[in-house]
Amino acid sequence: MSSWLELVENKLEAVHLPLGRVEYVRTYHLQARLHELRCQGKIADTVITVEHEPVFTIGRSGSASNLLVPLKVLQHEGISVYDTERGGNITYHGPGQLVVYPIIDLRSQGCDLKRYIRNLEQSVIGFLARLGIVAERRAGFPGVWVGSRKIASVGVYVKRWITRHGLALNVDVNKCHFGMINPCGMNIEVVSLNELTKEKSSLAKVREGILSQMEQLFGWRFVEGDAQQYWEKDW
Amino acid sequence: MTEVCLPDLGEINEVTVVDWLRQEGETVVAGEGLVEVETEKTTFVVEAPQDGKLALIVKKKGDKARINELLARIS
Repeated sequence: MSSWLELVENKLEAVHLPLGRVEYVRTYHLQARLHELRCQGKIADTVITVEHEPVFTIGRSGSASNLLVPLKVLQHEGISVYDTERGGNITYHGPGQLVVYPIIDLRSQGCDLKRYIRNLEQSVIGFLARLGIVAERRAGFPGVWVGSRKIASVGVYVKRWITRHGLALNVDVNKCHFGMINPCGMNIEVVSLNELTKEKSSLAKVREGILSQMEQLFGWRFVEGDAQQYWEKDW
Repeated sequence: MTEVCLPDLGEINEVTVVDWLRQEGETVVAGEGLVEVETEKTTFVVEAPQDGKLALIVKKKGDKARINELLARIS
């Protein structure tokens, strides 16, 4: 029988890369670079956490038709729009939202896309449960829902079984910005964590909670990476 | 002719073809991305299994495909 200590030691070491608040496009390019390095086996499984400046991103099955305001208005608000290679439709990222981008090898997680999405969702569901919030999946509509309102979105890209893009959890977002789109191409309402609790959570606290759930779900033990090194290193 | 089939993606029944990264008649290299498929808000890139020419696209953009189903042929 394995001892508790041995089980701990058998966990895979993964790198957590906290980036703070960074413009979407910079993180987009960093993900692409880390994806290539992970494909080459030069880095371990790496999980980026970040908060973006306001931005709309459109996935492979989306279109700008789900933008509900003219581009001029977005320019005035300083909000950019990017096409991305992830799955899904249009979504919003901005301050008060925790974004998690795992750059990981799914061959060590069973080569199962559905299981991967379920684990991303479960990291949110498990974390919210610890705060006494009942959240769930909805069949056919990936993401995490509290009642009829969506609190977290998923959208992933997988090439050579290495992932990028990931998960976005609304902690305390500007809902006016969400009102400028049909999130995920649907007429749905979104909700932030801090609307559901008396005690307001910081992004840092939520991040630690989500990472703790991910360690359990993926069998990892996180070590913190130096983000500065990744921005500056010439690979 | 080499068949390019949808690989086993786990508990997935069906995907939708979202984009061909190479067109019929183009040369392809083993391991390069050939076609993007989507399921469960995930884009998955199917790679060319060998060098050759993309002779025939069987599943067009927007078509559904199941695991192990034929997507294309490489000559």
